[in-house]
Amino acid sequence: MRDVRIWFSKSGAVKYVSHLDMFRLMTRAVRRADIPLWYTEGFNPHPYISFLQPLPLGVETCYEPLDIRIEGEIENEEIKNRLNAVMPDGMHIEAVTQAFCKPAEAAYGEYKIVLDAEDISAEEVVRIIENGGLTCEKSAKVRGRKGTKIVDVSAAIHSYEVKQENDTVVIFVTLPASPELTLNPLQFLTGISNQYGTVLYPLEASRIRLLCADMSAFS
Amino acid sequence: MIKKLEKILPLVQKPARYTGGELNSVMKDKEKVDIRYAFCFPDSYEIGMSHLGIKILYSLVNDRADAWCERVFAPWPDMEEKMREHDIALFALESGDPIKDFDMIGFTVQYELCYTNIINMIDLAGLPLYSKDRTALTPLIVAGGPSVCNAEPIADFVDLCMPGEGEEITNELIDLLKIHKKKGSTKQEFLREAAKLDGIYVPSLYDVSYNDDGTVKAIKAKDGAPATVKKRVVSDLDKVFYPEKLIVPFIEVVHDRVTHEIFRGCIRGCRFCQAGFLYRPIREKSPETISCQCEHLIKTSGYDEVSLSSLSSSDYTQLETLLDKLLEWTVPQKVNIALPSLRVDNFRKDLIEKLTSVRRSGLTFAPEAGSQRMRDVINKNVTEEEIMSTSRKAFEGGWTAVKLYFMLGLPTETEEDIKEIAALARRVVDVFYAMPERPKGKTVAVNCSVSTFVPKPFTPFQWEPQLSREQILARQELLKTTNTNRKVQISFHEMHVSFLEAVFARGDRRLSKVIENAWRNGCKFDGWDEYFNFDVWMNAFAECDLDPEFYANRTRSYEEVLPWDHMDYGISKKFLIRESEKAKQAQTTAHCREQCAGCGADKLNGGECDARCKNLVF
Repeated sequence: MRDVRIWFSKSGAVKYVSHLDMFRLMTRAVRRADIPLWYTEGFNPHPYISFLQPLPLGVETCYEPLDIRIEGEIENEEIKNRLNAVMPDGMHIEAVTQAFCKPAEAAYGEYKIVLDAEDISAEEVVRIIENGGLTCEKSAKVRGRKGTKIVDVSAAIHSYEVKQENDTVVIFVTLPASPELTLNPLQFLTGISNQYGTVLYPLEASRIRLLCADMSAFS
Repeated sequence: MIKKLEKILPLVQKPARYTGGELNSVMKDKEKVDIRYAFCFPDSYEIGMSHLGIKILYSLVNDRADAWCERVFAPWPDMEEKMREHDIALFALESGDPIKDFDMIGFTVQYELCYTNIINMIDLAGLPLYSKDRTALTPLIVAGGPSVCNAEPIADFVDLCMPGEGEEITNELIDLLKIHKKKGSTKQEFLREAAKLDGIYVPSLYDVSYNDDGTVKAIKAKDGAPATVKKRVVSDLDKVFYPEKLIVPFIEVVHDRVTHEIFRGCIRGCRFCQAGFLYRPIREKSPETISCQCEHLIKTSGYDEVSLSSLSSSDYTQLETLLDKLLEWTVPQKVNIALPSLRVDNFRKDLIEKLTSVRRSGLTFAPEAGSQRMRDVINKNVTEEEIMSTSRKAFEGGWTAVKLYFMLGLPTETEEDIKEIAALARRVVDVFYAMPERPKGKTVAVNCSVSTFVPKPFTPFQWEPQLSREQILARQELLKTTNTNRKVQISFHEMHVSFLEAVFARGDRRLSKVIENAWRNGCKFDGWDEYFNFDVWMNAFAECDLDPEFYANRTRSYEEVLPWDHMDYGISKKFLIRESEKAKQAQTTAHCREQCAGCGADKLNGGECDARCKNLVF
């Protein structure tokens, strides 16, 4: 029995698969690939599959970790090849490694957001971020009940970069992704939209990678 | 994906309903196919993707190099609103192309309450609603599925119907359309030729006249169309096409598993049950074929459950052999076997035990009626003793919750029969407490789900009235007050929905105006409580000057011309009258394996019926 970390990318239609559905998708993929999974004991055995950082609906990812527990002898490379043979379009296994970092070590996520230049210019985006005061609503437990709280987006931005590319505006931004605070790129975009006064829809939003607190790659 | 769509997807619930791209969905080069077919399921993605028929026919058409079948589901109202706002016409999931440019658009009609969704989808596609207003040959709009046994309420919207099983006729129709498309035929020329195929019904080739009292006077075929249209059946289930791969949805659908049909038809002949007559004659698939196909489908899908489907699974003659074969590979692969549709009378404990070795799901039985007299009227040949002994076996097997299905408003029903429903449920509770070694600290729950009887075509009750809405309410009230046991929960199916079902199940062509009117006033997704609007429907009947009670609550005579009399489903009218008369005397009819009742369905299959040639095993 050992834990392996599977690094996958997803783009296209698969980005609309929710976190819960991703779990089902991966469970089935692992079954199709005939990977010797470890099952829990008891009346209703189920495999151990764990996503480290949920992604919001509509966000793509380039290199996302997922842990599974396996049983029996199988090489990491073999796991990767077998999985890639049975993945749906848009999902690809980039690597299979040992699980080096603990899930709680993830601190930041690096994101790319592409906007339609018809909707907003690069200068305008920079101006809004520099002005500060970006906020967004986030669901949270308020005194044990479901509610929402206002999050200070500006304070949470670690670093960013904005570029004009042909008819698009490309934003690279690093946001917290730790147990204490996680901000996703759509919430960041909501912060900008709130200041801009118009709702901005991304042409593309993706997570490039996860980082540890010292800004080294989460591995 | 088109850019317009990309922008609206983040704004709707469950966008994965509209993206396509699921595992095992089929992509083709549209330049290299002759026929593009949009297979539409007029309900949500989750419902449609749970349906076995669409999966079979999708694979069947895509098996041909010259055709490409794509899927279309009814967009949920939030998505529809965005599509209309952004001018996005109804598109197919695989290519994202608008279906108005396809050669054929097919609807599978599973129940009457999807009629508004059908015309809503035609409208969303950007096409005229009525067949007569779509003058070009393509896109041809076709319909199939059980409800086309009486397609009259939607007959003016569709170009043709395919009564019966689709595995053979779909390909024949595509072949014919391909020829006529090449020839440049008109729609009329094509339809006249199509009507000559066995199992094709072209409504526009039949003139319907009415009597002064509103009943049908005559249905006359014209332009060479046959006087009656025979439904198609497949003769050998072991040889008929079955998919090698199933599309695996990204989002969770209602039945998220491998479903396998083990036999078609039903030997029981319950007199209210349309499916029991529509799908005759009996044809079984061999355990070898089923097990082999299931194992392959599990491999290519990654699912962890196989569901064996049929109208009455315990009537499959080789159930034991089949389960043994399946368990050989399902146990090591940790695959669960679901066996819905078991009957109360031959429910066996050893059989349950085999299934619990994998995983256990809920247990549902359908006594349908509370009293023995009532069960004899409907020919549900189940005794009280059998219900009790089955419940005992279930409780002994570890179940503590049982669901019971009943119907209210059956022909000849009395107050006594209704009170017996509550009494029966109570006696099931008693069975639990009478068990000496019942699980300590556990309580029992008997949930009764009570629906309203809907008379359907091609059943012995097709001439019967549905009770008036006031009567149904009164009887529901009576049942509620009769039940005093706290372990028994009684829930009722929405009565107004059943009323509309009764109208449309036995409706005629004049109802198309009502459907259009209701839809124009906002009706769609009528099968969903949150969208069902009875007042709009009643208003539509009033505006079209048609009385819904004429269709639902009237006793018809055996002599009356029924709107579906030009459809031949094998079942003879003589047989149905015989059964109807026996029902009135509370006389039962033995099941088909005990003695053939002469329904006539075997003639559709060259005189073959698996109920007759197989030996009794029970």
